[in-house]
Amino acid sequence: MNKTIRENLTSYAFLAPWLIGFFALTLYPMIYSLFLSFTQYSLRQPPQWIGLRNFITMFGGNDQIRGDERFLNSVSVTFKFVFVSVPLKLVFALLVAMLMNKKLRLIPLYRALYYIPTLLGGSVAIAVLWRRIFASDGLLNLILGGVFGLTDLPAWISNPKYALGTLIVLAVWQFGSPMIIFLAGLQQIPTEYYEASSVDGAGKLRQFFVITLPGLSPIIFFNFVMQMVTAFQSFTQAFIVSGGSGGPLDSTMFYSLYLYIKGFGFSEMGYAAAMAWVLLIIIALLTAGAFKISGNLVTYGSGE
Amino acid sequence: MSIQKSTTLNRLLTNIFIIVLGVSMLYPILWLIGASFKPSNMIFTDPGIWPETCTLENYGKGWQGIGIVGFDRFFLNSFTICILSSMANVMFCSLTAYAFARLNFAGKKFWFAVMLVTLMLPAHVTTIPRYIMFRTFGWINSFLPIIVPKFFATDAFFIFLLVQFIRGLPRDIDESATIDGCSKFGIYTRIILPLTVPALITTVLFSFLWTWDDFFNQLLYLTSPDKYTVPMGLRLFLDASGVSSWGPMFAMSVLSLVPAFILFFSLQKYFVRGIATTGIKG
Amino acid sequence: MKKLLFVLLLSLATLGMLFATGSQETVDDGSVVIRWAYWGSGERVTISQEAIDLYESRNPGVRVNPEVSGGAGDHFVKVDTQLAGGNGPDIIQMGGNIYDYADVLLPLDQYAGSAINVDVIDPSAVASGTISGQLKGVSTGVTMPSLVYNKTMIERAGAPLPPKSMTYAEFKDYLVMLKGKLPAGVFPMQDIGVMSSSSTPFGYWTRYNGTPLYDAASNSTSVTAAAAKKYLDLFMDYRESGLVPPPDIASGYAESNADTSSLIAGKVAIAYLFTNQLSGYQAATTDELDLIEFPGAAETMALWQAPSQFYTVNKDSKHPEETAKFIDFLVNDPDAALILGSNRGASASSTARAAGAASEADQLVLDYMEVAGPHSSLETDHVPNDTEFNSTLFLIYQRVAFGQIDTAAGGEQIHDLIMRMIEK
Repeated sequence: MNKTIRENLTSYAFLAPWLIGFFALTLYPMIYSLFLSFTQYSLRQPPQWIGLRNFITMFGGNDQIRGDERFLNSVSVTFKFVFVSVPLKLVFALLVAMLMNKKLRLIPLYRALYYIPTLLGGSVAIAVLWRRIFASDGLLNLILGGVFGLTDLPAWISNPKYALGTLIVLAVWQFGSPMIIFLAGLQQIPTEYYEASSVDGAGKLRQFFVITLPGLSPIIFFNFVMQMVTAFQSFTQAFIVSGGSGGPLDSTMFYSLYLYIKGFGFSEMGYAAAMAWVLLIIIALLTAGAFKISGNLVTYGSGE
Repeated sequence: MSIQKSTTLNRLLTNIFIIVLGVSMLYPILWLIGASFKPSNMIFTDPGIWPETCTLENYGKGWQGIGIVGFDRFFLNSFTICILSSMANVMFCSLTAYAFARLNFAGKKFWFAVMLVTLMLPAHVTTIPRYIMFRTFGWINSFLPIIVPKFFATDAFFIFLLVQFIRGLPRDIDESATIDGCSKFGIYTRIILPLTVPALITTVLFSFLWTWDDFFNQLLYLTSPDKYTVPMGLRLFLDASGVSSWGPMFAMSVLSLVPAFILFFSLQKYFVRGIATTGIKG
Repeated sequence: MKKLLFVLLLSLATLGMLFATGSQETVDDGSVVIRWAYWGSGERVTISQEAIDLYESRNPGVRVNPEVSGGAGDHFVKVDTQLAGGNGPDIIQMGGNIYDYADVLLPLDQYAGSAINVDVIDPSAVASGTISGQLKGVSTGVTMPSLVYNKTMIERAGAPLPPKSMTYAEFKDYLVMLKGKLPAGVFPMQDIGVMSSSSTPFGYWTRYNGTPLYDAASNSTSVTAAAAKKYLDLFMDYRESGLVPPPDIASGYAESNADTSSLIAGKVAIAYLFTNQLSGYQAATTDELDLIEFPGAAETMALWQAPSQFYTVNKDSKHPEETAKFIDFLVNDPDAALILGSNRGASASSTARAAGAASEADQLVLDYMEVAGPHSSLETDHVPNDTEFNSTLFLIYQRVAFGQIDTAAGGEQIHDLIMRMIEK
């Protein structure tokens, strides 16, 4: 057998489970949802073809079709959330991962304790916990008032100005997943690099920039892309904390939450599908951009 | 870094810093645990962590589940789903990832892009067609719609994760193995897998936890109460129109963290510089 | 390559085993299986199962499978998906959104009088399940809108308890008096304007003013922008007088459940509630609660009795006759009534009540209904697209409360919203 053909065959054998899964399980629902995006679909009647109407509604409407302000608001809320929470979460996760990589006797316990907030995931209990902290008589105001003597403090969680902030804090608080991935990545940087550089008399800060960051760059890139992709699709936390309303005043109305409310709450699944595909395009463009830029910044194992 | 000997003072300060940061982060969890020991009618009126009146009643009531099916059953179901899912995920995602990271084949870039795109479509809009599809297969009210996709590496997150880790390994090692006459599959099992243990552990851990947490799919596909899972059981304590059982809900929330915590605690020892890269000169 | 194939085959075998053990149980003993989807928790699940057991023992050859979800939200997402997938359950528990599902529900008229004995059910309850002349749902029990107050808190403040019936003027005087007695940070009343399921109190107010929200027969509303503005003005007045909490505090409470209730949290003394929720709220606090009417009910009979839920039948049900019989058992059978009690509302069936089921209902609710019952009239039709209507109404209230728009603009938006829901 020709060597290229053989290599192709081997490769596709490795890829076979994923390919089968893609064609048998993933492709049809995706295509069907693309079809739905050009329809009006109440879930209780068959879908009706309405052409581009859903998309026109989304992007401001025209003379006959009324635009959807709540959609545009959800886009701006989501962008704010993504661009603030993702960098914060990544920096925090990386710092904690380095801290958790130290050789201390209690480190196994510390690691597990630091992961607990993430274990809570989308638990319904979070709604109660967050109100306990950020309500007008919550813990935060007790501290700000009691220790710093501040008065006239807002009810953070239910004030349209700050509610999104509390969700950003929640996202950063659940930093465990990228932290673990960073921690796993740190194990792959050969220790010899550090040994060699300390022999050369390099300081810790220099080691961080010269060895840790470049060595970790594929993982940093992964975490950045995946955190961005998932942040754009954030749903559960906003759903739980706002009781499914996206309030107050739509200030926590994330894109995916609005999509869900439209699809299942208001029975406009066609519109929801159209929203989903617009989001897919936004995320795909940003991801493609990230891959382009990463070419110069990410260093893979030697030989690549 | 960690290889250098830190002074005792240094180590003490680090410990203190970790503990102070940790406690402030864990406050909500401590409150949750405290609340699970409070009587139901005091949960929302007694704001402190430490319960004024302490009771085990919530745990007893919670363990009863929804009366007709107990929480032991929900735990068993969740375990079954999660264990199978995480095993399947780690096996098949790493196979796929190896192909993307190390092999050369026609259409590689295309398929890689396709794989990433599957991550970008919000799941809620594929709910209906997926439901119809699984119904055609006759899978409704079984664990199959939740587990089977994992056998086909449909969780692209983990493929991408493992690709990044494998690409981070120096290439010379598998090249030298090829020269030694090792097959591609041999390289995969004997070199790549051992070298990516931390990433594989991450995959196992996350698959387990995320499946444990995946309320939406379980809600849609499991219809008879004896197939319900832990997150479904937790939601069954809350009823907007009737009597909500917050006490038992908190108690079972705390219990549901325990297996995940134990799993994490026992797996975290693999996040150490093990065999991984020692002896390999880059 | 060979080893790889081996691994793939091995996993296929594992999958095969998975199918063998995990796939749907098909116990085909020839019995009719009725799927019953409802939402609820704890006690409701247990007693529903007891009723099922009793029915199955009396009717060999019929099995009832409960499909229970924790809350109405989860319930409807699941049911919507099942209906869209052509796999809907036989019995679907419905709430105020029954109108939006009318097209997929089986008209029960053909079974009324035979499988389902409607003669013993209160006519108003039958009427509320009748949509466009067809019986689409059987009431599970009756509930009424009310105001709940924290008796312990008011007594502790040294204020007199509110009378069951008041006019709007008396009500405001009472709130002002209460404000003077309550400690700082506690408000006399919940801001009904800033809660998510707000169409019910708004609906009451439109009935009080003789401008009902919706009339299905003519597909029209009597609410004008000016009428809606008056409602917003009423709460603006309360807000500015400090009788309800400021908006950022008020919207911290979703008011959908005891745990998200400002009343239970001790922030307010009076709140809005459906009577069937009282026992749930009472269970969440050590303070004593009691009920009063909405202001002005005595003059205008603007209150109403509503089914707390409906039993409805999927039009694609394969066993409509058996399903109808089971529903009859649930609502009319004396033994079932003893088991089910008033969990889904106070029974609307005379045979069930004769069994003594009603006596188990909360005494406070009965006392309330004694006064409020005569101050009621027939329920107004529900505005179509119930969920969207509530959600958007809530948003408009918030815009006004947070000062983003004035009450005139709010009135316009509400009128606009109702028109949009009607035309949709």
